[in-house]
Amino acid sequence: MTTAIGQYQYDQVDRDFLAARIEEFSEQVARRLDGALTEDEFKPLRLMNGLYLQLHAYMLRVAVPYGTLNAAQVRAFADVARRYDRGYGHFTTRQNIQFNWIRLEDTPDILRLLADVDMHALQTSGNCIRNVTSDEFAGAAADELVDPRVHAEILRQWSTLHPEFTFLPRKFKIAISGSPNDRVAARFHDIGVIARPGDDGRVVFQIFVGGGLGRTPIVGQELYDSVPEERLLATLEAIIRVYNAHGRRDNIYKARIKILVQALGVAAYRNEVEAELAQMDIARYRLSPEMVASIEARFAAPDLQAPEGAAAVLAEQRAQNMVFDRWVRSNTHAHRSEGHIIAVVSLKPPGEIPGDVTADQLDRLAGLSERFAYGELRTTHLQNVVFGHVRQDQLYDLWRGLVDVGLGAPNVGLIGDIVACPGLDYCALANARSIPIAQKLGARFADMTLQEQIGALQINISGCINACGHHHAGHIGLLGVDKRGEEFFQMTLGGRADDQATVGKILGPALPEDDTVDAIARIVDRYLQERSGQESFLETLKRVGEAPFKEAAYDTV
Amino acid sequence: MKRAVRVGAGEGLVITANRLLDGAIVWLSADHTWQTAIQRAEVLVSDAVSERLEGVQSRAQADGVVGIYEIAVRPEVGGPVPLTMRERIRAFGPTVHPQFAYEQQEGAGA
Amino acid sequence: MTLFNLGAREAGHYAEPVTLADLVEQGEARSVVLESGDEVAALKPYLNRLELVVLRFPIFRDGRGFTQARELREYLHFGGEIRVEGHVLPDQADFLKRCGVDSVVLPEGSDVRPWERQLKRYSVSFQRSVLPEKVLDVGTRVAR
Ligand code: HEM
Ligand code: SF4
Repeated sequence: MTTAIGQYQYDQVDRDFLAARIEEFSEQVARRLDGALTEDEFKPLRLMNGLYLQLHAYMLRVAVPYGTLNAAQVRAFADVARRYDRGYGHFTTRQNIQFNWIRLEDTPDILRLLADVDMHALQTSGNCIRNVTSDEFAGAAADELVDPRVHAEILRQWSTLHPEFTFLPRKFKIAISGSPNDRVAARFHDIGVIARPGDDGRVVFQIFVGGGLGRTPIVGQELYDSVPEERLLATLEAIIRVYNAHGRRDNIYKARIKILVQALGVAAYRNEVEAELAQMDIARYRLSPEMVASIEARFAAPDLQAPEGAAAVLAEQRAQNMVFDRWVRSNTHAHRSEGHIIAVVSLKPPGEIPGDVTADQLDRLAGLSERFAYGELRTTHLQNVVFGHVRQDQLYDLWRGLVDVGLGAPNVGLIGDIVACPGLDYCALANARSIPIAQKLGARFADMTLQEQIGALQINISGCINACGHHHAGHIGLLGVDKRGEEFFQMTLGGRADDQATVGKILGPALPEDDTVDAIARIVDRYLQERSGQESFLETLKRVGEAPFKEAAYDTV
Repeated sequence: MKRAVRVGAGEGLVITANRLLDGAIVWLSADHTWQTAIQRAEVLVSDAVSERLEGVQSRAQADGVVGIYEIAVRPEVGGPVPLTMRERIRAFGPTVHPQFAYEQQEGAGA
Repeated sequence: MTLFNLGAREAGHYAEPVTLADLVEQGEARSVVLESGDEVAALKPYLNRLELVVLRFPIFRDGRGFTQARELREYLHFGGEIRVEGHVLPDQADFLKRCGVDSVVLPEGSDVRPWERQLKRYSVSFQRSVLPEKVLDVGTRVAR
């Protein structure tokens, strides 16, 4: 097995724990099969192991803690896809991977296979603290202040089988970032944490609470500006304890923490948290520098050595190959270390299913990560994957390898980089199919020159109000609705998930699928006419307002 | 989903569920067994449905099925065709992976 | 009914527990039953007399009882017996114990083996609880 780079290294205690957890799940399956557990009792238990019952089969959601994978883990996904699924994996907006064609009876074996590479499906569903997400550029981005993965791992461990918080009113999602450029949608999480260096050299945390999408989209509010590291766990316990005691349990649509924060107001919520902290045995919750150091010691840092002139090699290759140059423009990000670069792989080839990868592609990604990226791969909340540390003089070879497996689309951050949930093709809760319209939009804007000309434009599609595709946070958002048995799409404009998080505004009446694709094409045309200079879509929208776009959208000659 | 299923003229109802062991979609046939092909489903008139539902609900654990409910279909030569897109996708497979369609498996037993 | 002990403390025998409202009225009862919506803090005036607090779970998914138990131990330093009744699953045995619950009321004839297995399942946990657990040397781990 390759050494994990940006990832906590398991020891025997962790492995024994996972084995015991799988044993527990196998016994639960057996009790379900012999009738000792009813379906209503079993469902929350299987969900805590990431197992859903979808339209056609069970779906298993495997956790990718803070989005970091090593090559062996990626190969294990390929193995699961081949042996237990139909040859595919699907990356989600919470950095996890889903398999859509799973059998209940195979699940314990799949979990054992994953445990062999220190992977699990724990708490990827259910009304518990979910897999903690983080910045896909962690430890690599030039703009990062604190590497958030150590604290993400601490939160992962602390939340694992938490005795008090495993039967919350509703699911609970935490994201953590260490960059002022929010790439984790911190303000759309139940708790969003932004880490930065404090005055004394220890990390401090800005904490947002009560954000979320779904039926009631709300931008999270700041609860604390700077919580000291020692108080991080105490503060989170207090926040969640207030929620567990007072969050609504009578109506699942009003059960998220955001509803409680809205009902109380953030100031009153803070008072409640303070009242808990005042009674808590704070010493017991203390996160000491030694504890942090013991986790940090399990992470390996890559030895970043780029040869002299790596940047020049890259510049030369870009000058010689226009197609490569375009890919570098859209699909890379500045690295903190000289001679290195971050490469984003688009899982949105035009006309394909966003986030889908085949078993063969997974194997190839694993191989490429070993050759070019210290054996590490990351997943993003936009359903793409990232090679965190690539030598600039090797970027061209990496790109060639990607093109070879059909993963060379130069569209990251552009209109073709569509986020879509599984929708009605797989999901039991859906109103409409999200994937076909994503494919049609991808095909409509397949021209890469046009995409580049349009510039930054994020389309997000959800098949129902649960908003798994983050439609409220898309620059253009599409929500599938059911109109007398027909699939319609309601459009929102102006959403964003970054540090200026905004909920998109509904443009007008919902349209059928093909009309929606046409309407978006007209909106984009209108933007190209209206924009001044290098303005982005969002900037133009802000300047001219939604009226011209509304006119364009509903202008059916 | 809990809305009463409305049936128009010439339409009928079939009863469906998922199999507990593998999650596969199954349809209730005339001999009261669960079949994986909708072509084998028995088309019922509204009046007959609630009694049949009660019967299969009480046997759900023994039969190894979960999430039993009824859906509206139009009987056609090739077999019943569900009225909603959702149920057509359940009956015939996801629309986005033609290779996963169910038609080829016609007649496969439960 | 069957009484199952989660830890070392043997379940005791007490007079029929009264509701929180009755406790407030009478004051002298030694055992009380809380619904999942009741505030534990309301027990403060009666603590030195109370020997048993029963927490009722209306359904296993209602996790408020875990917080109630923890508050009783951690905030009110309640040293008497905490018992759980209602709809709970053996899968929750360890969670209940680590939140400070001593015993569980099960329907007569229940199979207690899944409860026993669950209590022995893990040799490590990843966060402190109200039990006196030994802190290990990595992160937030404690030995069981
Ligand atoms: C296919 C099976 C799925 C089911 C049944 C499902 C179900 C749900 C439900 C019911 C909610 C709303 C919860 C609430 O607001 O309380 C939700 C939210 C969410 N889902 Fe899914 N989901 C599925 C797949 C996915 C996938 C594939 C992704 C990623 C692409 C995803 C990402 C999310 C996210 C990020 C949210 C949070 C939105 C928020 O902040 O409220 N889900 N999901
Ligand atoms: S948004 Fe709705 S349709 Fe899409 S995956 Fe979530 S629950 Fe299913």
